[in-house]
Amino acid sequence: MSTLDETAVGTPPAQALALDLHEIQATVLRPRPTPYFGAHVLLRVDDARAGRELLRRLTPRVDSAASWWDSARPWLSVAISYAGLQALGVPLDSLQSFPEAFRVGMAARAGQLRDEGVNDPKNWQPPFGTAEIHIGLSAFSDSEEKRRHILAFARERYEQLRGVHLLVLEQFGAQPGDLNPLGYKDGIDQPAIEGSGVEPLPGQGPRIKAGEFILGYPGEAGVPLPMPQPDVLGRNGTYVGLRKYQSRVGAFNRFLHAHGSTEEERELLAAKLVGRWRSGAPLTLAPDVDDPALGADARRNNDFNYAMDPHGRQAPFGCHIRRMNPRDTTLSRLTDVNLHRLIRRGTTFGAPYDPNALSEKDDQVSRGAYFLFISAKAMATMEFLQQEWINDGDFIGAGSERDPIIGLQEEEATFTIPREPVRRRIHGIETFHVLRGGEYFFMPSLSALQWIGNLAETGSIEQKER
Amino acid sequence: METQKGTSVAPKQSQSAEQKLQKLRDIYAGAPELGRVALERMMPELEQAVRMAPRATTAGRIGIRQGKVSEFLLIFKLKPGGADRLRALLGVLGGNFQGADAVGTVHDMRFVLLDNDTKLLFATAFDGDWDPYIADFSTKIPDPLDVLFCDCEGYPGMHSPKVGEYLLNHQVQAEGWYVANPNLTVAETRRLEKVGKAVDELLDKIG
Repeated sequence: MSTLDETAVGTPPAQALALDLHEIQATVLRPRPTPYFGAHVLLRVDDARAGRELLRRLTPRVDSAASWWDSARPWLSVAISYAGLQALGVPLDSLQSFPEAFRVGMAARAGQLRDEGVNDPKNWQPPFGTAEIHIGLSAFSDSEEKRRHILAFARERYEQLRGVHLLVLEQFGAQPGDLNPLGYKDGIDQPAIEGSGVEPLPGQGPRIKAGEFILGYPGEAGVPLPMPQPDVLGRNGTYVGLRKYQSRVGAFNRFLHAHGSTEEERELLAAKLVGRWRSGAPLTLAPDVDDPALGADARRNNDFNYAMDPHGRQAPFGCHIRRMNPRDTTLSRLTDVNLHRLIRRGTTFGAPYDPNALSEKDDQVSRGAYFLFISAKAMATMEFLQQEWINDGDFIGAGSERDPIIGLQEEEATFTIPREPVRRRIHGIETFHVLRGGEYFFMPSLSALQWIGNLAETGSIEQKER
Repeated sequence: METQKGTSVAPKQSQSAEQKLQKLRDIYAGAPELGRVALERMMPELEQAVRMAPRATTAGRIGIRQGKVSEFLLIFKLKPGGADRLRALLGVLGGNFQGADAVGTVHDMRFVLLDNDTKLLFATAFDGDWDPYIADFSTKIPDPLDVLFCDCEGYPGMHSPKVGEYLLNHQVQAEGWYVANPNLTVAETRRLEKVGKAVDELLDKIG
């Protein structure tokens, strides 16, 4: 995600803005800083008054997207689950205006999300999968010291309130080179959003209608998506799917060693799984050897399409980045790729990637990533991705093969690398990321945060009995 | 909490096989003699079937699936003149549904006019669930769908965010569903056709 800030730091938008950036939370448009230091804080609200008081106290540090390019100041994002909206005393008719998948929560949608086997919610870490997670705060900053400050600010606000209970505080970031848990540069390819003022990087694709990502604006079909009511609550808000993954680094390294006898072979295989070298250089532009300078250059490392590689000989059809954004790949199912994109805020936690970690014990070492998946229809998009692009291969003519990085692999799973004259099919790929928990959140606009924070005072609701 | 994708829609699991068969006999006691006799002759086959795992599972919010193939059946009331328009349109198309070819998940489609041209029955077999792709149809092939379904009462148009809900409200779930090749999707069938042809060409060269 360093891509945007490398090119855009201090560059205010030149074009006229169509979006109400002062209302939209910064995290929707602002990438992680480089380097990044942050934390996710999950809270339970036992008393609606205390919860609303907390929202009022936190709001001053919830930046808006108006200064999306400025990540030097640490900031918070605030997101609220359905159980959280209930706990905060949001009126019933508003609650009922939220989509069903959001209301029942991520665990109850496990069937649609294909969260089965090891990823089944019954195997999740508490408090995930319970109705206890009410408010999700995410703190972002570019230094250890700033993280301390922003977390102290948040802690002072929630610790003073007896009706608010801390469930989880997990720090993330501070990784050498900002690499993800499997040792890759990540977060490179983000959707370009029309009217956001964020200048697309080369290769980022056509600007997608803002309504796909932010409520209250026309989407790709020309009309706004259904929005929670009243208007002040829904408009300029969006949804966030939070998912916590444990990285099985030992299994990943064992797979590389089992199928690559030299360092070069292993690194090429690692690149084939993702579609990029660990440096971020895409195989479509650097098919044979890594090109770290290319990987580091935000204006070049995403500047390609798959017309350059129609048979998948460089980036396999089944590689992670080609699945997550097939671009112009000919798909076997009628698909509008623009409808299935998510803004991703990947946040790596725990021990950094270790290429020498080979044991099963290494799979248990705490390291992985919390992902924030942001979209005006995040629930539907995540279910689509999990069903179609991650845990299936039919759409790219790959049968029942799954995403090699975040797919849930079945017994005897394979990964196919197209090659001349015959493809290479690798057997025995394992699940490299195990889901440890997740939840759906609503990320309200700044006005909506105030609206919720002042609910009782406006007299619009009865105090909710708990 | 429902966490399995293969939730059975077969009769209640709590009944034993014997109980199910006895219940079937009881209910067939009221059938014409022809049916009663046939049932007794079928008993060995039914005794096997009742002990096998049910092959049909749920598809999306309504509908049944076998393996990867789902059934989808809708019944609509038609506006006056709608049947004539649909008949004329289907006549011009002559079975050349390029939109369906492009969709890549549709095995077949039938359009049946019922009740003196006042209703349309639309039935199809397709891969997976239909709702994940509904938005894609709205932006990619709205015209072929709007022209087919415009005379259905209450049809909001493919661009409406309510179109998914509308279809759901007109869906009628089948009581039974059989698929010969439950694991062959349209995409996989097309791939195997190509592979088969390539293998034949290779064998022709060798032979």
